[in-house]
Amino acid sequence: MKKFLALFLALILASVSLLSFAGCQPNEEGEGESNFKVGAIYINSKNDTAGYTFAHHNGITTAMKQLGLNPDTQLFIVDEVPEDKEQVLAAIDTLVGNGVNIIFGISFGYIDAMEEAAGKYPDVIFSHATGYKSNETNFNNYFGRAYQARYLAGIAAGLKSLETGNNNVGYVAAYATEYAETASGINGFALGVQAVNPDAVLYVKSLSAWADEVNEKAYANELIASFNCGIISQHCDSAQPQIAAEAANVFGCGYNSDMTADAPKAHLTAAIWHWDVYYKTAMQAAMDCEKAADFVTKMGGQAYYGGLKEEFVDVSPLNSTCAANTDKAIAAVRELIVSGEWDVFSGVKLSISADGTVTKSDAALVDNKGNEIVAAGGASVADGVITGTMNYFVKGITWVNDPNGSTTPDTDPDTSADASEEVSE
Amino acid sequence: MGFHIVKRDNCPLWQKCCLYIGAVLLAVVIGGIVLLSIGVNPIKYYTRMFTMGMIGNRIAHVTFMNYLKKLVPLVITSIALSLAFKMRFWNIGGEGQFIMGAIASGFVALKWGNVLPMWLSLIIMCVAAMLAAGLYGLIAAWFKVRFSTNETLMTLMLNYIALHFLMFLSERKEDWNFFLDETSARPKFASFSQFVKMPTIKIGAKFELNICVIIAVLVGVLVFLYLKYTKQGYEISVIGDSVGTASYAGMNVKRIILRTVFLSAALIGLAAACRVGTAGILSTSITEDVGWTGIIVAWLAKLNTGIIFLASALICVLQQGSEVAASSFSQVSSSFANMLQGLILFLVLAADFFTRFRIARAKKGEKNNG
Repeated sequence: MKKFLALFLALILASVSLLSFAGCQPNEEGEGESNFKVGAIYINSKNDTAGYTFAHHNGITTAMKQLGLNPDTQLFIVDEVPEDKEQVLAAIDTLVGNGVNIIFGISFGYIDAMEEAAGKYPDVIFSHATGYKSNETNFNNYFGRAYQARYLAGIAAGLKSLETGNNNVGYVAAYATEYAETASGINGFALGVQAVNPDAVLYVKSLSAWADEVNEKAYANELIASFNCGIISQHCDSAQPQIAAEAANVFGCGYNSDMTADAPKAHLTAAIWHWDVYYKTAMQAAMDCEKAADFVTKMGGQAYYGGLKEEFVDVSPLNSTCAANTDKAIAAVRELIVSGEWDVFSGVKLSISADGTVTKSDAALVDNKGNEIVAAGGASVADGVITGTMNYFVKGITWVNDPNGSTTPDTDPDTSADASEEVSE
Repeated sequence: MGFHIVKRDNCPLWQKCCLYIGAVLLAVVIGGIVLLSIGVNPIKYYTRMFTMGMIGNRIAHVTFMNYLKKLVPLVITSIALSLAFKMRFWNIGGEGQFIMGAIASGFVALKWGNVLPMWLSLIIMCVAAMLAAGLYGLIAAWFKVRFSTNETLMTLMLNYIALHFLMFLSERKEDWNFFLDETSARPKFASFSQFVKMPTIKIGAKFELNICVIIAVLVGVLVFLYLKYTKQGYEISVIGDSVGTASYAGMNVKRIILRTVFLSAALIGLAAACRVGTAGILSTSITEDVGWTGIIVAWLAKLNTGIIFLASALICVLQQGSEVAASSFSQVSSSFANMLQGLILFLVLAADFFTRFRIARAKKGEKNNG
């Protein structure tokens, strides 16, 4: 025991002396582009070859190369960091210790740690994906209008449903109305389908997990077999729903990456992200900043919410399986959205005919319980609703495993009435 | 001509030390070969890893504070596990007991953190965590003494029940669920009041020593004394050697098992309270796997309380250091630490073998009785 104590004390002494030595080291980091260092915190491994972390890593390295930065020497990553405040804070300390200028955190649960660290390290820029916290100086958040890309994918699905004559569309989703992220995506897709095929109905089955390959496949099969769905869309990590669609000889729309290779006969198009668009913008802004506190001003706001216009989201190249005129219809709607003339969740509805012509008409946006979300002709719902409180489905959507009972909420208008309040928030 | 294994009785201490240190070094060398094979300079990598990147780091003191934060729960958990292991009660349920302790202290912090004075809520948090974890551990112990169930399986399964209970709390946005942050549309755990925070002692200009470090050292000393000098500690080692002997000597084996497992699990609860009280928030990965790593540490240290401090200090350097090192080497993932940790365990176990046996060349004509 004595020996051990002596050893332990020696260890402490050694560490303390190391500390004081280290404390004396001057910080020799210069300023300027050649010394610009990027930090990133990932939820999964940086060596992933598919999925969410891969998409971000790919975006960051692509952006760095475009800006003439070298990811091998100027990018510092702490990966496999769970959504645990202490562990995220430790990861941030590690990155700051490496002298990074900007830190990207890609997972929602990093939110509290990033907020605290932004106060603790005012000379470092913090940028948080999918979050809602920020400050006026060195901390912003970023996300994209995936619902716009989903709407375009919905058009492809709608035209296909007209061609096959099957009005049932299935949707395997990580979550349903619990998260605005999933609900807005499902709603956007449904509205796209309905713009082409007003008789189409959407069946959503939720996984209650962001990634669950086994059930992603099983649920897709169930939607095809039990609900007679002719098209399977998805909001989940793997291509399993598309593979299931391929095996069942139906069609599908993927997510996150072009899934045509996984399901060459079934896949129509996928809603995809170009994360490099944001990362390039943010890194450029950070390099242009004289001090970290200017970052939010330079970015033009505390929340970056890019869409089709910024080419932050898009649909993957149309597969040859798509119905005729899909490209024409999508191009026309894209033009409407990019020009700012029209947006998805508004009181103006698009009608797209089988030959690809698009006509606008005023129509109220109604949820699947009969509540009016936006009056006919009204403006689009606020971004804060789309990212934060959109916890309802639009008309024509059935959540088949809704824990709160009724699987046919369309015919049951008086079960809940709180959804209409959301617009005002 | 062949080899056979011969039992050896007296392996001198210096030889043991050499064997163990050699095993660790060999693990590092094998790790170095792996690093080389993916084009990373192992010397550069290990330098950063074993110094945890503190050299030339303007916030080295923060790195060291983070290191201690990681170390405390691991040390306490390992010591707690060694208590049960000494009795040959295979408590694989450290994770579950830790989680139950974390939930209990989170409950106290979120329910009363705002109203009670800080010292009181922290003490109640610790007590609640110890009770919750202790009782959770007691489930498996009770089944063992009552129905002779297998405690390894039982404690293992209870881990997953606890984990999924915590995940349930983390996702279920309902009015009753005060564990969640009301202001967030997306479910996430609520932060504790600023008044619920383990206090720190300022040493020097920048360094702050968390009180939990002192708690961990105290736990170590107390458990050491308990095992070495008390009747109860003696009973534990007798049961560990032979339940039959213990019964014959008139010990109430069932009671001792229940008592010891409760104590072991309660200490794990204390580790959880330290972790939660320092973090100020719950999370579904609050355990940082200490329930598993603690098993490795306890065995590496051969259940020796003093060595547990050393072994967990080493394991934490590996974990924290490899996170730091991996951050600047794009080819290496932070999981490198797990590989190295596994290698060290394997090789130390192998070294262990050589402290008790030796391989001898079988001579012709000699009777092979190894």
